[in-house]
Amino acid sequence: MDEKKTASNAGETEALDDALQKKHLSMLERLSNRHQNRLDNALTRRSESESSSSPSFESTSSFFSRFSDSKRSIESQLAVSRTASSDPTQLKSHFEKISASISDLEKLVAENSYFLPSYDVRASLKTVSDLKQSLENLNSELIPKKKFSFRNKANKKESIAQEVKEPSPLNCSSVISDKTSFAVRESPGLRNRKGEVLMEDFRGKEVGEFTISDLDCCEVRIIGCLRALFVHRLKNCKVYVGPVLGSILIEEVEGCIFVMASHQIRIHTAKKSDFYLRVRSRPIIEDSSGVRFAPYHLTYEGIEEDLRGASLDEETENWANVDDFKWLRAIQSPNWSILPENERVRITNTSTLDNIE
Amino acid sequence: MGLLSIIRKIKRKEKEMRILMVGLDNSGKTTIVLKINGEDTSVISPTLGFNIKTITYQKYMLNIWDVGGQKTIRSYWRNYFEQTDGLVWVVDSSDLRRLNDCKAELDNLLKEERLSGASLLILANKQDIKGALAPDEIAKVLNLEAMEKSRHWKIVGCSAYTGEGLLEGFDWLVQDVASRIYVLD
Ligand SMILES: Nc1nc2c(ncn2[C@@H]2O[C@H](COP(=O)(O)OP(=O)(O)OP(=O)(O)O)[C@@H](O)[C@H]2O)c(=O)[nH]1
Ligand SMILES: [Mg+2]
Repeated sequence: MDEKKTASNAGETEALDDALQKKHLSMLERLSNRHQNRLDNALTRRSESESSSSPSFESTSSFFSRFSDSKRSIESQLAVSRTASSDPTQLKSHFEKISASISDLEKLVAENSYFLPSYDVRASLKTVSDLKQSLENLNSELIPKKKFSFRNKANKKESIAQEVKEPSPLNCSSVISDKTSFAVRESPGLRNRKGEVLMEDFRGKEVGEFTISDLDCCEVRIIGCLRALFVHRLKNCKVYVGPVLGSILIEEVEGCIFVMASHQIRIHTAKKSDFYLRVRSRPIIEDSSGVRFAPYHLTYEGIEEDLRGASLDEETENWANVDDFKWLRAIQSPNWSILPENERVRITNTSTLDNIE
Repeated sequence: MGLLSIIRKIKRKEKEMRILMVGLDNSGKTTIVLKINGEDTSVISPTLGFNIKTITYQKYMLNIWDVGGQKTIRSYWRNYFEQTDGLVWVVDSSDLRRLNDCKAELDNLLKEERLSGASLLILANKQDIKGALAPDEIAKVLNLEAMEKSRHWKIVGCSAYTGEGLLEGFDWLVQDVASRIYVLD
């Protein structure tokens, strides 16, 4: 059922042996048709949701009533397993039926994850995962010898989870020189400084990725556009950057102020830091605490043009739409808050160095 | 009649493929899926759970599962391993610092028994960024040559921005999965 719903390129089936170039052309065509496609999709989805037995709901409450209905029915199926039958074959088909219902439930979440609030997606996922676990437990208890579709055992899960290692403190150049023979390459950036004012002017230049790492008590001013920005291990720093066309990844920072605009911002392991952001999508935090958010404000000569060029000239209000991956509940995460207006720093002009306070 | 309907059933199933897209957060999984599907990629938030897309590609129906790569939700990846025909591992080729992390997660994934039959496509994404490592460099860092002999794999450089390399990668994956399914016939 889901194939009809999401397939958007049906009818554009390409022949197996098409030359690569022809495919590229047809992809370009597809790209230019994307609005039509999306329109068609929306229409299909709507008409199907009126008729199909497993509709994609466009509202949270109708999704939830359906979700909890199937959840309840799966739970009651699970509950009767012990008394359902002592015949392994019958029991097996009983479990397979439940397994199919869980898969359907999972699909339901996936199809609706586009509009559901983030904590609902996470909570629903958790429910599905728990149901699978219960099924698996019952299955291995009641049909001990037979292998079943959810094959990994609970204890195996645990051990694999522990095997996922924390990223080692090695820096990248050592990784590369350890394992490979080609020349070590370091991305352009500002690294290993203490108590300095660092300024980079990229106006009119084509800059790819840029790294700011291992700074202590520094002020960083980057003027102009970047493609991607990585920020790692900063303490008590102030960081002002012009528009970033792609994404910003921030890890292990403490006691910092960031003023930045980007299409995506991911913040990991940040402590007690303030973020003045403009983002096109929802900023996310993970393993962070005491982080506060406020709208972007920065000026330098030519910033308006740079922001426009990066499609970041409009306020999206997303600076306040923070998703905390470590917080599953509907109430506000304790790890972040909105920076009170009277505590916000004044507009910063980074064109001139004499503006340092 | 009975036999015929069984054959038809098998044939129809063959045309469907289940593709699992994983990789570290920020590597570009969601952007790639939307780009292939010809959708707007200008506003994408980090994926909180997962998305499913069904895309008609050549004569196949690809069921693409795009799962979020943030550390907190990597433990959910295992929920999607079952019946995976094609595995796509996406790498941000410009994120040199986290290549360690990237290698560790991939190594872990490849230990999964349930994924042992899946063809593996590694997409060295973001090739458009100045300073991105080339696919052969990524292959060395990830030590792909040491992969088990039985695994079908390929690494392709790509950019979800320009679209370059995406078709080459998915063409290989779809052909490889298809040829395995026909062998089983
Ligand atoms: N320059 C460049 N940027 C890219 C490319 N592909 C993706 N990006 C950017 O990289 C960022 C991350 O992309 P996503 O598609 O959200 O990454 P993801 O792997 O789905 O991330 P999670 O959902 O968190 O796991 C976005 O800002 C994209 O615009 C590429 O080929 N080139
Ligand atoms: Mg994503």
